[in-house]
Amino acid sequence: MRRSLPSQLARTLVAATCTFALCAIAATADAQQGQPAPQDLPSVPDGLAEPQGFIAEPTWLERTAVFADRHLSSGGGGGTGFYLNSKSPVSGAGWLTLGPGYRHWFNDDSLVVDGTTGVSWRGYKMAQARVEMPKLLRSRISLGAQYRYQDFRSVKFFGEGPNSLDTAMSRYHLRTHNVVGYATLRPARWLALDSHVGWLEPSIRNAGGEPAFAHGGVAVTADTRDFPEHPTSGGLVRVSASRFDDRDGGHASFNRYESEVAGFVPVASSRVVFAVRGWLVASDAAPNNIVPFYLQPSLGGGNSLRSFSDYRFHDRHMLLANAELRLALFTHMDLVGFVDAGNVAARVGDLDLDQRSYGAGVRFHTRRDTFLRLDVANGREGWRTTFTLSEPLSLSRLSRRYAPAPFVP
Amino acid sequence: MNRSTLTVCVALTVVVAASCAKAKRPALQPSAPVAGATLWVEPTDLTRRDLFHGPWGKEHAPDPADTFQFVEQKRSGVNLGMTVKDSQGREWSVKTPYPGGLDSEAPVEVALSRVLSGVGYPQPPIYYLPAFRLQDDFGTRDMQGGRFRLKHDGLKDEGAWQWEENPFIGTKPYEGLLVILMLFNSTDLKNSNNTLYTRRDGDRLERQYVVRDIGAALGDTAFLVPRKNNIEAFEASPFITGVSAGKVDFAYKGLYRKYVDGRITAADVEWASELLGRLSDQQWNDAFRAAGYQPAERARFIATIKQKIAEARGLTRLAVRD
Repeated sequence: MRRSLPSQLARTLVAATCTFALCAIAATADAQQGQPAPQDLPSVPDGLAEPQGFIAEPTWLERTAVFADRHLSSGGGGGTGFYLNSKSPVSGAGWLTLGPGYRHWFNDDSLVVDGTTGVSWRGYKMAQARVEMPKLLRSRISLGAQYRYQDFRSVKFFGEGPNSLDTAMSRYHLRTHNVVGYATLRPARWLALDSHVGWLEPSIRNAGGEPAFAHGGVAVTADTRDFPEHPTSGGLVRVSASRFDDRDGGHASFNRYESEVAGFVPVASSRVVFAVRGWLVASDAAPNNIVPFYLQPSLGGGNSLRSFSDYRFHDRHMLLANAELRLALFTHMDLVGFVDAGNVAARVGDLDLDQRSYGAGVRFHTRRDTFLRLDVANGREGWRTTFTLSEPLSLSRLSRRYAPAPFVP
Repeated sequence: MNRSTLTVCVALTVVVAASCAKAKRPALQPSAPVAGATLWVEPTDLTRRDLFHGPWGKEHAPDPADTFQFVEQKRSGVNLGMTVKDSQGREWSVKTPYPGGLDSEAPVEVALSRVLSGVGYPQPPIYYLPAFRLQDDFGTRDMQGGRFRLKHDGLKDEGAWQWEENPFIGTKPYEGLLVILMLFNSTDLKNSNNTLYTRRDGDRLERQYVVRDIGAALGDTAFLVPRKNNIEAFEASPFITGVSAGKVDFAYKGLYRKYVDGRITAADVEWASELLGRLSDQQWNDAFRAAGYQPAERARFIATIKQKIAEARGLTRLAVRD
């Protein structure tokens, strides 16, 4: 029998997560503000060295990490030329995605054009093209535009609400065209104010016509993580508001509000890292309007509630908290214990942390990137294994500009 | 259906990767002479050469106390780096280590460049700074240093030259250069790491054939992911395994065996080892000191290099006696 976590405790946990992450951000932001004294000779900054593992690393693991670092990472925006796209486009696409990409930087990095395609293990397809000017007004403003096509052939849906049954699973084939223009104001290296406007055309195979959406939004992000794809210190806070405007009748128009915090605290010379994340998503629709199920917040899968299926829960609102304890067994391999908790609800006031997962895993990583992750989790619907090539909290999605269809936790 | 689509995508990726590789079968026949072509210049003042500041001297070196202006990120190759400008307006190509510090090429490149220029092979103006101050659009901060290569007005980069097609194939300086690179376990002998520079001196135009990106060395020569800048691996790696049919067999296991397999004679090895053997202890120390190596580490690297030079000379004596 399931027992409900008191909402007071849920609020306390979320508040503690926020406080924790804000402290982590504040500490790192202060450090980043430190200007060197002009008379001093420069010194090598702290935090670049790889935290050493508790056990001496075998050579094969070190060489694998070096290979992954040199050939699979795309830090700094990536180089000019052809590259291999191996990033999964969406949860449930399968563990492997492959496709060619081409990127070209022009005129001292003042303009970049990028085109990518990819096909996943489960046959999900995507193609996108992007042009961006990232260094306008001394890098304070960047402007860009992006087109993205997605064809996801078998996305799971279990019905709405926290009480949906795992036996009620159905699948739908979602195809989207998404065009977006975006601008970012960056007052400081760690602070970004984003805005975007776009057009989303979804279609579901063998279903009625889906409305097209004009969408737009704003977001504020404070990010002091040391290495975004494998953070060991710092934190992130993001608050966003967006609008999806149904252009084919208006009954599916709604607003979306999100708040997300994450913090990473190193202890024992970064051999141990404590990571937490809290994420709240709320949708606001007029009384007679709906939020299309593929745009509803969802939970479940390797980046949210790891013992549940991908997209296990859908509803208008979502709350999620994750905590991980990462121990550097070897220099490039961590052992991890984690707890996930969250839920969906039709009303914000009904949100709780009653859906929970507990588990352990291993991470293979370099100093700046996670290149392989294996998590095993248990919850009320049994055991589930996640094997993927990306970091667990999926914070890289924050750099995406297109509308999330389907919503991916 | 989904598997076939994936297969098509993988095939397309392989085709793209293969087209990037530009594989070319080496002929290793010397090309027609080129006016002003220079691979090596007899180092008549070898014992007096300053291997700390290098062939371009202190006057071309970056000022460690300077604040460098960020220009752009390095967008090619697998190494990290950037272009910066110093307060004199000079532009520098900086190669920086990866976060984590494994396999850093920057110090290796500077140390080997000093040795090569010391024994007569032209090198561009490169230097090592352990840290530097960088100013970008968001302010000033200290950065981990690396290899600084000056973009010199008098030295024009004409692109890559090819190991398998140049006027020097078969000459002692060409074969000796390969021997020296083998001795240092230099694993990445791809043509794009070579640069043809034109340098005008009055009416005379010199075309310098330079081995430039030589940081993949001083480790082992494993076929896949060789270790670089790793003293344990360098000490454990043999240099020469024997002589067969008059040709020297190297322990090198890297991708570019075709340049040395069945080609290098004991006399080539003798020529190269004699050249390196003329460098003094002070010069060896200066070469590694210029690259930021600490005393204990440079002592081990230098001892291993000298051991390999002695091995080469022993091989030559053995071959002559036989």
